[in-house]
Amino acid sequence: MHIVDGALAVPVLAAGAALTVAGVAIGLKKMDYDHLPQVGVLSAAFFIASYIHLPIGFSSVHLILNGLIGLALGWAAFPALLVALFLQAVFFGFGGFLVLGVNAVNIALPAVLIYYLCRPGIQASSPKLAAFWGAVGGAGSIVLTTIMVAFSLMLSGEAFLLAAKATFVAHIPVMVVEGFVTAAAVLLIRKVKPAFLGLDEEKVYG
Amino acid sequence: MVKSLQALLLAIFTLLSLGAAAHNVVGGVYAIGSTIEGEVGFSNGDMAAEGTQIIVSDSRGNELGRVLTDADGLFSFEASQRIEHHFYADLSSGHVLQVNLPADELPDSLPGGPVSSGPVAQSEVAAFNGDQAALQAMIEKAVAKQVKPLRKELAAYKEKASLQDMIGGIGYIFGLCGIGIWWRQRQQSKAER
Repeated sequence: MHIVDGALAVPVLAAGAALTVAGVAIGLKKMDYDHLPQVGVLSAAFFIASYIHLPIGFSSVHLILNGLIGLALGWAAFPALLVALFLQAVFFGFGGFLVLGVNAVNIALPAVLIYYLCRPGIQASSPKLAAFWGAVGGAGSIVLTTIMVAFSLMLSGEAFLLAAKATFVAHIPVMVVEGFVTAAAVLLIRKVKPAFLGLDEEKVYG
Repeated sequence: MVKSLQALLLAIFTLLSLGAAAHNVVGGVYAIGSTIEGEVGFSNGDMAAEGTQIIVSDSRGNELGRVLTDADGLFSFEASQRIEHHFYADLSSGHVLQVNLPADELPDSLPGGPVSSGPVAQSEVAAFNGDQAALQAMIEKAVAKQVKPLRKELAAYKEKASLQDMIGGIGYIFGLCGIGIWWRQRQQSKAER
């Protein structure tokens, strides 16, 4: 899901950087600083998740986890993901420094959208319904990210449909896995530590 | 508690050792005589699709030619000048590869570019009576064949991030959080005063 240096046009890079700066500013402003350790843990989880490849049949996928991060952090996903993406570029050579802004927007903006879209769902009193919305969030964030990746490629000259199809098809397994993982995570966190998702305990158990 | 932690750590390390590879574009070019051979693929082991177009250009961006990859993601380009060669491949979905082959890896027999290997090599070769150019080409081919697997291994090694990198990255993230918490604490204690 990382776009590498050299694939995008300069205006796209600049727009991505500007959007990221704005997103991070909002994120830092909205962040509840009592939850700073949580932001760090999720940032670290994202940092590692892209490196661990899970073999599935003929291919292998890695988790992206931006749905779960969005559900838990909301706007604070921006600073969390930016830091993780930066370190991935430094340590693993994923993406690059010039495209850091575009990559951050492509991954963090879907996370924020999922927060607004699925957040009420995972607070539902029925665990089944909550798991469903968790799955929607997990898979939906990947769908949104593939669309945004295709869009940034299109703005740089690649045919949108072609790019979108290629990235979308390549990420169908990721969507499935991510949906399951996020649903399971939501269920587990609801039971074990609702505060981690900022859930109201009374609502969950009520 | 300790047991569950052990189990968790074990699970993590097992996962890490399972061919942990990044999905990056990797590739390299090597000169064998005047032929430039190269390969392009992804760091998870997949090679580029057959027929991927490689654009070859000089250092000023003038196009020198285009070649296509074969089924194994390999391609070859016949250099006609002793200049720096740039190779560019677009594997779609934001995966691009850019590699350079410096001029001094190409043989001196090609036009363009001064002889940089110095007079020592010249005099050594001069002592041999025979077809110098053919001999030189043979040596270069033989050495290239020997060095090729080493180059591949080295490229793979460079791509592979170690456990230290991961732990280092996590450490940076936690360190940043620590700074944030410390800064927050300072603000609060200032406000209380």
